[in-house]
Amino acid sequence: MVTFEPLAADVPRIRAWLVAFRVSAAVTGVFLILLVVMMIVRYGFHADLAIGEAAGGIGMLTRNEADPAGPTAWWPEGTINLSTIILIVHGWLYVVYLVVDFALWRLVRYSFGYFLLVALGGVVPFLSFVFEWRVPRDITARIASLVESEVSPA
Amino acid sequence: MSALGFWSVARRPKWIAVLVLVLVVAGIFAWLGRWQLERAVDDSRVVGPDTELAVPLGDLATPQHPIDSSMAWRRVEVDVAYVPGDTVLLSDRLNAGPERGWTVVAHAVTDTGASLAVALGWSADAAVAEAAQAALDDGVMNAALTTVTGRFMPSEGPQQSNFPDGQRSALSVGELINVWSTPPDGGVYGGYLALDAPPAWAAGLEAIDAPMPAREIEVNLLNIFYGIEWVIFSGVAVFLWWRLVRDEQLREQLRVQLREQDAAKSDT
Repeated sequence: MVTFEPLAADVPRIRAWLVAFRVSAAVTGVFLILLVVMMIVRYGFHADLAIGEAAGGIGMLTRNEADPAGPTAWWPEGTINLSTIILIVHGWLYVVYLVVDFALWRLVRYSFGYFLLVALGGVVPFLSFVFEWRVPRDITARIASLVESEVSPA
Repeated sequence: MSALGFWSVARRPKWIAVLVLVLVVAGIFAWLGRWQLERAVDDSRVVGPDTELAVPLGDLATPQHPIDSSMAWRRVEVDVAYVPGDTVLLSDRLNAGPERGWTVVAHAVTDTGASLAVALGWSADAAVAEAAQAALDDGVMNAALTTVTGRFMPSEGPQQSNFPDGQRSALSVGELINVWSTPPDGGVYGGYLALDAPPAWAAGLEAIDAPMPAREIEVNLLNIFYGIEWVIFSGVAVFLWWRLVRDEQLREQLRVQLREQDAAKSDT
């Protein structure tokens, strides 16, 4: 019985997207952990991670929310706000991660629920590391059985 | 084989419910985008000095020195004494409207001894302007120091005046110096002061129109990018609904096809 299965012709493309998924999951996962650190620093210590002489190379500099010019306006010129960089980079990495998830969903034709579950990997800390290992294993198993059934028709 | 259309699947209660959900989510995303755009404007920083905070004139400008853009159009306060007999009426002046009228310009000496041209007010009625001029020249202020606030304006060019006919319409400091009977021995400020409101003894005058200058602002580009991102996400939400309906349609078509194939096989 033929079901709504991935196409055998798509297998090389699926393998390529799986490599992209592994890389994307690992990088997004690392930045998600940095994001957690950054959030703790910002909302726990009312500070941001900074690079510059004022921060002693790399360290924390406080935020002054009452300053009308901006919370970090008092920072010396040339000081880099690492917290903001982490925030922006994670945001875009997550968009890339979602694009890869979407491409795999279309090619492998897994359920929409699975698509949403994989999407969570970019926002729940450490989950992407589980997915980095689980998702390729599941998908590889799925396309392996597909190739097998093509080779030995019933 | 009966073709199963996209809309016949999309019209099913299940997919209409999903569509409603998707539209709500897209609406939330669009609202988030709007919020980000609002923040981009709210968080924008004004470039340059706060022109509306009155600063002492002596801290801002120096007599006998040119005025640059960091000084002009800023609100200032200064202690002055008016000089009787030096009040000038400028004709043919516009003031926040199409009507032409008279601007009353006084010669004032600041507490540091420097001369400053002060535009007291404007009137479309020559009699009102002349009354204010007469009151000041008759010594209504009695040379007493008074604190005035207004906007420090750059001097106008002298070209607009028609000197031979005794008509003056340009508020040019360089020109006024030649008219004043009391020489400005303590130096002259390169701009003039447009008072926030005419003095009480010249109540018939209207305030000089000197609005806040247009401000240059830096918008927060990061928020603008996030705003755009949310708009794209709301589009993606609707697209996903279409994709899911299409998948179901294709799946059912495949099922129908297979059933027909099986039927054909058992017929033979």
